[in-house]
Order: sequence, then C-alpha cells, then structure tokens
Amino acid sequence: MTPFTFARATSPEDAARLAALEGHRLLGGGTNLVDLMRKGVEHPTTLVDVTALSTEIIETARGGLLIGAATRNTALAAHPLVRTRYPVLSRAILAGASAQIRNMATVAGNILQRSRCAYFNDPAASRCNKRAPGSGCDAREGFNRYHAIIGGSPACISAHPSDMCVALVALDAQVHLLGMTGARTVPLAEFYRLPGDTPQIETVMAPGEIITAIELPPLPVAARSDYRKVRDRASYAFALVSVAACASVQDGVLTELRLAFGGIAPKPWRALHAEQALLGGPVTREAVFAAMDLELAEAAPLAGNAFKLELARRTAVAVLADLTGVTA
Amino acid sequence: MNQPGRFATLTVNGRAIAATGDPARRLSDFLREEAGLRGTKSGCDAGDCGACTVIADGAAVCACLMPVGRLAGARVTTVEGLADAPGEAGTLSRLQSAFLRHGAAQCGICTPGMLTAAAALLAKKPRPTEAEAEVALGGVLCRCTGYRKILAAVCDAWREDVPEAPLAPGAAVGARVRRLDGVPKVTGADRFGADEWPEGALLLKAVRSPHFHAGFHFGDISAWKAARPGVAAIFTAADIPGRNRFGVIPAFADQPALAEGTARLRGEAVALVAFEPGAEPDLTDFPVTWQPLPYLLDPAEAEAEGAQLVHQGRPGNHLITGRVRRGDAAAALAASTHVVQGSMETAFVEHAYIEPEAGSAWMEGEVLCIRACTQAPVMDRDETAAILGLPPERVRVLPTAVGGGFGSKLDVSLQPLLGLAVLKTGRPARMVYTRAESMTSTTKRHPARITAQIGCDADGHVTALSFDGLFDTGAYASWGPTVANRVPVHATGPYRTPAVLARARAIHTHGPSGGAFRGFGVPQAALAQETLYDQLADLAGIDRLEFRLRNAFVEGDATATGQVLHGTGIHDCLTALAPHWTRALAEAAAANAAPGHLRRGVGVASCWYGCGNTSLPNPSTIRLGLTPEGTLVLHQGAMDIGQGANTVITQICADALGLPVEAFTLVGPDTFLTPDAGKTSASRQTYVSGRAAQAAGAALRAQILRLAGLNGAASLRLEAAAVVVEGETSHRVDLAALPPNPHGYALMAEETYDPPTAPLDADGQGTPYAVYGYGAQMVELEVDTELGTVRLLKITAAHDLGRVINPTLAEGQTEGGIAQGIGLALMEEYIPGRTENLHDYLIPTIGDVPPIESLLIERADPEGPFGAKGLGEHVLIPTAPAILNAVRHATGVTITRVPLLPHRLRAAILAKGAP
Repeated sequence: MTPFTFARATSPEDAARLAALEGHRLLGGGTNLVDLMRKGVEHPTTLVDVTALSTEIIETARGGLLIGAATRNTALAAHPLVRTRYPVLSRAILAGASAQIRNMATVAGNILQRSRCAYFNDPAASRCNKRAPGSGCDAREGFNRYHAIIGGSPACISAHPSDMCVALVALDAQVHLLGMTGARTVPLAEFYRLPGDTPQIETVMAPGEIITAIELPPLPVAARSDYRKVRDRASYAFALVSVAACASVQDGVLTELRLAFGGIAPKPWRALHAEQALLGGPVTREAVFAAMDLELAEAAPLAGNAFKLELARRTAVAVLADLTGVTA
Repeated sequence: MNQPGRFATLTVNGRAIAATGDPARRLSDFLREEAGLRGTKSGCDAGDCGACTVIADGAAVCACLMPVGRLAGARVTTVEGLADAPGEAGTLSRLQSAFLRHGAAQCGICTPGMLTAAAALLAKKPRPTEAEAEVALGGVLCRCTGYRKILAAVCDAWREDVPEAPLAPGAAVGARVRRLDGVPKVTGADRFGADEWPEGALLLKAVRSPHFHAGFHFGDISAWKAARPGVAAIFTAADIPGRNRFGVIPAFADQPALAEGTARLRGEAVALVAFEPGAEPDLTDFPVTWQPLPYLLDPAEAEAEGAQLVHQGRPGNHLITGRVRRGDAAAALAASTHVVQGSMETAFVEHAYIEPEAGSAWMEGEVLCIRACTQAPVMDRDETAAILGLPPERVRVLPTAVGGGFGSKLDVSLQPLLGLAVLKTGRPARMVYTRAESMTSTTKRHPARITAQIGCDADGHVTALSFDGLFDTGAYASWGPTVANRVPVHATGPYRTPAVLARARAIHTHGPSGGAFRGFGVPQAALAQETLYDQLADLAGIDRLEFRLRNAFVEGDATATGQVLHGTGIHDCLTALAPHWTRALAEAAAANAAPGHLRRGVGVASCWYGCGNTSLPNPSTIRLGLTPEGTLVLHQGAMDIGQGANTVITQICADALGLPVEAFTLVGPDTFLTPDAGKTSASRQTYVSGRAAQAAGAALRAQILRLAGLNGAASLRLEAAAVVVEGETSHRVDLAALPPNPHGYALMAEETYDPPTAPLDADGQGTPYAVYGYGAQMVELEVDTELGTVRLLKITAAHDLGRVINPTLAEGQTEGGIAQGIGLALMEEYIPGRTENLHDYLIPTIGDVPPIESLLIERADPEGPFGAKGLGEHVLIPTAPAILNAVRHATGVTITRVPLLPHRLRAAILAKGAP
C-alpha cells in the first residue's frame, strides 16, 4: 500500500479545497476505499476524513428532506420521516451490505462507491478499462453474471453496486455539490455517466467538487413504495436484480409511478420508458412485460447475465403487484 | 492535520490508549498489535466476515475498515470489554454466559464478532426478536454453528445464567456439559494461529503465482534484498534441505513447499520472504518473471487423449480410480421393473473457515517448535520434518486453537515455510495468510460429474446401482485418493442394493487441489443417488419416505462391499421423520391448493458414513495420569477444531474412570506431551479416540481398584494426594506414597484403539470401516417460481449417533453441517481466479439457515465407546439432496447441477415449459 497521510476536513469548503489537491481522496466510512487501497486499486497519498461534515437530516421548506453527506446509512434508514414518507429508501438501505457496514458507510460514500467487478478489483492479473484505461475488459468474455445488461459499452459493463441509489433515483433525489467555483445541484439520475469510451469517469463531478448533501423532493406517492432485491443469499450479497418502485392506483389504473432498477446497469437505472408505458393503464403481467420490453430494448446481455432480462421484468411484476394490491 | 507519529487518544474498554504511529492503520491491527487485545479477530480485512466487529461509540463496526486516526476521542469496546465487571476475572456477562449455555461458540473464531455485534444490539434492545437479532448479526459469518444456537443465545441473553449443577460420577455421558474450553472463547482469551508469536519474530510472506500454470525464474534476489533493509532473508526451493514434496498420502506425495521452476496452481508459493519485525511486508517488484503456460481447468479435457500432463508419470492426468463391484449391475438393471438414470454436477467448494492459516515457530535448542492451527499435529510434524530434512523427534507441533478446519487444515500449509525460515535464520518467525492466500492456495471440495442408474422391482425394492463419478482433483493429489476410494463404497446410500458397479476417478487439472472437505466426496455422491431415489419412488408409485424405509439397511444387511452391518440406525432415523413428513406434506398441499407463484415443497434424503480411514489403520492413543499431588491429567491429543473433542473425550473418559469431568486437567494436543490421537477427520475422534479414552479411563480405574482391593462397583473420589475408593468398605489410595513413573505420575494408563477393518480387494469387497453412522433429513421450503428463488422454512434432522455423548454439541454439529449443506445446494461455487474473497464467494449468513429440529437417535454400535458413532460429516450429506428433492416436489423440476442459483432454477423452470 502506498504510504499516505491523514487529514480531517473541518468544513465543506475545507473538504473541497483538500479534495482538489493531487493524490487526495475523501474518506467517508472507509468501507470501500480502505478495501480498494488494500487491493492496490486506489493509491491516494492523503486521506481526507469527511465524517465530521454534516450528518443532519432536516425537512426542507417545501416539505422534502435534506440529508447531510456524512449521514450514516443506518441513521438514514432509521429516520422516522424516511420510514414514513420514503419507505423505499429505508428498505433499500437495509437490503444493502451488513449492519456493521451500514453503521460506518456514509450517504455520499455510498453514492461514490466504486465498481465491485472482480476484474476491476484484481490489478495483479486482470485487464480493466475503468482501472487502467485502454487496457481492455476481461469481464466481457469472463465471469459477468453480476454485470450490466444495459447502459454498458464495449469498454465496460460493470454494474453499479448500490441499493440506496436505486431508491434515490426513483425518488428524484438531487445531489448538492460544492466546488472551488461554488455550489450546484444535479439530479442523481444525471449525476452518473455511462461508461462509453471513458469508464474511468463515473460522474459529472468536476475535480475538487464534493457532495455536501442529498435532497429528496416532497413526493406523496413515495409513501406507497417498496424495494425488492433478488440475490444469492439472505443478506450481504449484491443484487442480481433489484427494483425500487413508488406507485398509486386509482380505479384500477396507475396514476403515478416511479420505477428504478439495480444490478442491471452501470448506474442506478431509472426506468422512464417503462413508467411512461404503464401510466394510465392497469397493472397486469402483460402490461409490465410490455413496458419492460420497451425499457430494455437497448439491452445487450452477455452469456453470463442474459438471465437478468427476464429476472428484471419478473421482479418488476412482483413489486408492482405487491404495491398495488393487484394480482398481476 | 494528523501526521504519522502524532497521538490520538481513544478509550478502549474504559482505558485511555494513546495511539502512535500510522493514523491510517486499521483499528483491528492497532488493537491486536499495539493494544495487545487479540480477542478481535481478522478474517478477511475487507469487511466481509465481521470477525473484527467492535463497538465504536455505540455502533457495531468492522475494525478492519476503520483507520485508527479517525477514532480520536472515541469509545471502543472489544470482546475483552464485554464482561459485566471489567477487570474482575471470571465475571461473564449474561450474553457471554448465554453463549456457553446454548453452545453458541464452537471453534470460537467468529465468537468475538458475534458477541460484540450482539452486545451493541442488546444495549438498545435488551430482549430482541429473532428478526432483529438476524439483522444485527447478518454481517458476521460463522462456518461452524449454523447460527441457530447463536440466535437462541442472543435472544435469551436477558436471562440470568444458572451455573451447571455438578454431575454425579458416571453421569457425564449424555449430559449437556458446557464446552470445557468454552470460557476463553467468549472472553476473547482463546489463542488462535495469528494470536501468539515469540518476541522478535520475523514476519513471513510468500511470493505466489498469479497464474493457473506458469514457468518462472528469479531475477537478482540479492540486489532486491540489499535495497530493502526490512528484508531479513529470502528462500526459494533451492534452500529446502529435505525432500521438497509433501502430500497427506505418502505414496502420492507430489506438492512442493516452494515450487521448482513451474507453478501448477494459482496461489502456489514460489519464494518466501522474511521481514524484520515492524517492517512493512511489501513484496512489490519482487524479482520473479512469469511465463504463463497453457492450462487445464476442465477435468474432461484433462483426461482426453493428447491433453498435456499436469504431472509427468500420471498418464491421462489420472490420479486414481476407486471401484466397488458386487453382482452384475448391468444385468440387474436390465431386469428391473423401473430404472432411472441421471447426472449431477457440483462445483469447487471452499472451506471458508473464518481463521485463515496462521502460526509461528522458533527453536528450542535442537528442536523446531511450530505453533499453528491444524487438524493433524502428528502428520504436520512428519511432513515438516521430511521437507526440512529433520528427524521427526526434532520437530514439536503445538497446535493453537483452530478457527475452523472442515478438512482443509489436515494438509500442511505454512508449517514447512515457518520451519524453513526458523531453521535457516535461527530466529523465530510468524506467518498469517491473507484471505486470498487462504482461498487460492489451499484445498477445495472436489467438483464432481456423476452419472448413475438405479433400478427397482415392482414392489419398490432397489435392485441395482451403476455409478460413475469424475472428480476434479486439481493440481495436487492431496486427499484425491481417499475421495476416489470412499465414494464407491458409499454410492448406494444406506440402502440394500444387491448389484452394484460404482467407480470414481480423480483427474488432475490446474485448478485448486481437491482435498478433504467434510464428507470426502460422499455429499456429491449422495446428491446423485438421493435425487434419483425420488424419481424412482415416483415411477414405482410409492411415497418417497416409504420407498426409503423399504430399502433402508437393517441389522445384519450386507453392504456393496459385502460387509455385514451392526448397530444400523437408518431405519430408526427415517421412522423418526415419519410424523414430521406427514405433517409437512399436508401443510405443503394446503399451501399449494391456491394457485400462485409461491410453491411449497418437502424433500427427504439420507446418509451413511463410515467413521475413520478407509481400510487403513488409524489408531488413537490416550494417556491418563494421576500426579502424586492428586491432579488427574488427560493427555488429549484429538484436535478440537470446534466440534467439541476436548469435552466429549473427557466425558467418555470421566465415566469410564468414575470421576467427574471437573476433576480433569487437559493437556495438549502437543506432539511432545500427548500421544498420537490421529487426525481430526473422517468423523473418527468421538469413536476412535473416544474408545481409547474409554479404555484409558477403565484401565486407570482398574489400577486404583486393585490398589484398594475393591471390585468394580466402588465409587471414586479425589482428595489431596489421594484417591478415596468407597465400596463395601472405604479405602484411601495414597498417591504420594507411590513411586512416580517417568512421566511423573503416581498412576498412569495409556491405551490405544485402532478400528478393526479389512482391506478392499480389486472389486472393492471387504470391511472398509468398523463403524457407520446414519441420518436422514427433511427439508421444507418455498420456491418463488417467477424469480427462481428458494426460501427454506424448516429442516428436521434425524441422526443416529449410537450414543449421544453431549446433546448440545451434537445439535451444534448437526446445525453447522446443515448450514454447509445449504451452501453446497444453493450458493457456494468457487471459481478459480474470480471468487477469492468472502464477498464474491458466498457462504450462508444467519438469515439463510431456517429453524432446525434435531432428532437424536441412539442405535448403539458394538464397537463405539458407550455405543457412540461419529457425526461430524454425516450431518452435511443429506441436506443438499433433500433441498433438491423439495424443489422438485414444489416445482416438478429435476435439478442436475449445484449450486442452484436463482438463474439456474428459473432456467430449469422455463425449460420445463412453465410460463
């Protein structure tokens, strides 16, 4: 491991200043970065501890929530307003990692966690364009069961590992950023970049920008929401497919819908096409399948992960059927 | 800004500690290496196993991911701080006592993490629900217990502990005696391989091949060393003074301690670097050049004509074929009313003990002392001595507590490397494998490809079995021959099968070495046979449990090897399941009456397993002595790897002698202090070492009675320097008056027991084992046919132990074996190069193991101590096939490959034409 020093950011501005320096990396819970350093994937020269930054969860003037970047995952999942107004977020967080990891992990760290692709994490023996641009991708021909079926590129097919972010993207969450040139807000759905030819660039953040908070808009439909994760064991396993959904039904037709997927794409995948197709109609198995066919029309599955096409639409049926009380 | 060298002060277990040095150091390393708190364990250094869980400011966290510099001002509680009155030795918290009472600690390596995670929960919720406890403990992996007793202990921890009442002499066997070695496991005081090392020990790191198969050569090693003052010495194969070949079965020894020119295995050690204490063990730029070579990972390709050879002299990459032939199976199948045939494919399975290999070594005069985790101290001694060119008596193996073994710690791993460094430098050394090293370089369960045919007559009586198994034995022989020989013997399952042709061949590839893993190939064979039994029962139109009952061995039946059985409990086990079976089938039918995508299923499968080596001697010797001062010392050389040998062997010995368990002081295992009690494998310790302990206890009793001039009905009592014998009259045997023997004992007994077996002939006919254990398990589950997921609801396990020595430990073994069987069936698939950590290689978590009901059956075996049989491996065998049978019952889908991951089950459901 490269030797490094340790600094503590005392304010968001301080953190942004330090983040802009060569070799500096922000350290939230450390649950991902410390491990990446052990594996030789990341080589920071200075770790900037940002856990002293805001851990507040406050109600915004328009009735949403502003969540400090350093809020622990456990605290966010347990917050009474999250549990009542945005249950999908609470459930998504609790479906991720383990209690210990959730106790450590921060909200911003969760958003910025790196790929869990086995090839990305194996600098000794594997090619990876995300880790070493231009070196190639061993996942395409290799073990790609956990990889993306949509949104990937010839350069990279790694899937975004977060559960929390799937819920956040369904909830239209906004990311508050602060950089040397000031503050700005970006919808989480637009925060991540698809890999294209530059899989090493994962977000729209400028160098030196930091996440200061996540904002949830008021969203009454989110009171009726759920998260469903299909995985290989009961806890502490990444999603094969996960679904976050908020839905309301009147007179048998969907009047409002938010739908997002995890485990299938390089970013938490908001299914706008499927939402559009389903709105105004009944929740039936056929309708969901047709909507998902639209949503996944651009999918490019590989031998090891083609099962996700079917699994994604079936999981969507299961979640929407549960949420709307309709036997799809 | 904190710079290295600056202080941060944190409070650990109520004590302020000034942290110096590197602020980025892992809290787990800081606690273990600087604060001396080695109760916190490191299992993966990646947050995957939870063994390092501590409480930081009220929250359970993974200490391995926590930089210590972050904790300035924080309050940290480790396992050492959990006792109610810190500093008052012997005062356990209610939680710790509950762990002992429930048998929630087996090997004890996960126990500190479990306890701290539970304590953080209990501080907020003193009486949690099971669901709350499952969430809190979901990130702590346990490979021994199956979690059920942990869950029970945590939910029961609010209760005040009632200490055990002393047992009357002669009442130890059958009693729920708490583990004799349990207290250090719940206080964090137990010492595992990585927990102790001599002052000034060199830290060893191996240079390992990243390729499946590669030639290699070294560059300028001396220059590399010269540029690094922290490097004390470097060793390669050229430095090995003895025979650079090891292997558990001497005739097949083929594995170098350090590879010579070619590495046949990803993770194979090619050089060893000794670092000065305190130096950063950095192998960056070590001067080795690799020439990757073509490799074989498919055993079918490996045995095909023209394939390259993994080892010269093993044509066709063929290691060995085991065979059992009885009658004419082909003719009998042709004449059968019903015949089923099918196949089964299994994957590499990793042992995934939470303690990676670790140990230390030093010289004491001319003697090389090795303290390491192991299942086989005497085998370690002999193999290490041979590699180092030493006579065995110059090597002393002093095993540490073992944080799980399950078969893989039977083979030497770091022992020869530790010995080499110590012998060459004269300095003490220590070595701890990383999780990746442990997973890549040690053995796995053999992947198997099995085809089989089974027939029965119109009445459902099995007529014949033909069975052919291809076992991928990987790069080195390890226990491949044992698997190939054991599988055909057990291929029929515990059922009368008049005509049998069973073959199992072990084929080399460049994959991980197939070794010993709980069951030695029998779990794979049972998957094939037991799933075919369900199909055959259906063909014959007979209830699946009834079909098994109809064919189950009974007293006096002959096996496929022609052995006549005694103490045959399989019928009892299946009978014990019958009421549960009726209930479960009715419940499943009721649940399935409504249409839907959630389908219930019930499955059953059996096991049998011969205890001890297959047709080979495997004696155990136990020594028991009384000192002139009246201390009763049991030299207990049977490795306790969590299964409970320390307790069970003592219980047996206590009742044979007639003194209470509390009277015993245990010594060993230690190859200088304990006679050879063999290896902890093949479910042999309770039976074989138990028989030796029973004989030693009886012999010492006879000596005492002779001195007292009394007969067998007398009772014994220990007093200072004397044994008081009370029969028709009372006598005092004055121990101080007896001349001590060379071991220092006034009275001593040492007894050896070796199971009476007979060799197998070319057709596999003979008496391979003296004792068999039996069992049957029933699984109830629910399949989501839309998603391909399986939810286990309950497992009922009936096992015949002959005589239950300790019900709590027996249940613990059963639950732990079932958890591993669940892993085999539903999630575990080691893919070389891809799943070399505990987040890509998944083992069951606490939420994956459903409630388990154990039915302990006692059909005494005439050979076993007090009738007892082995249990450790039996309990894993039926679980996976019972799961597959329940899935078939639920869905109609026949599964031929494990693990049954959701996408595979869904594909099978689709293939059957479901919507």
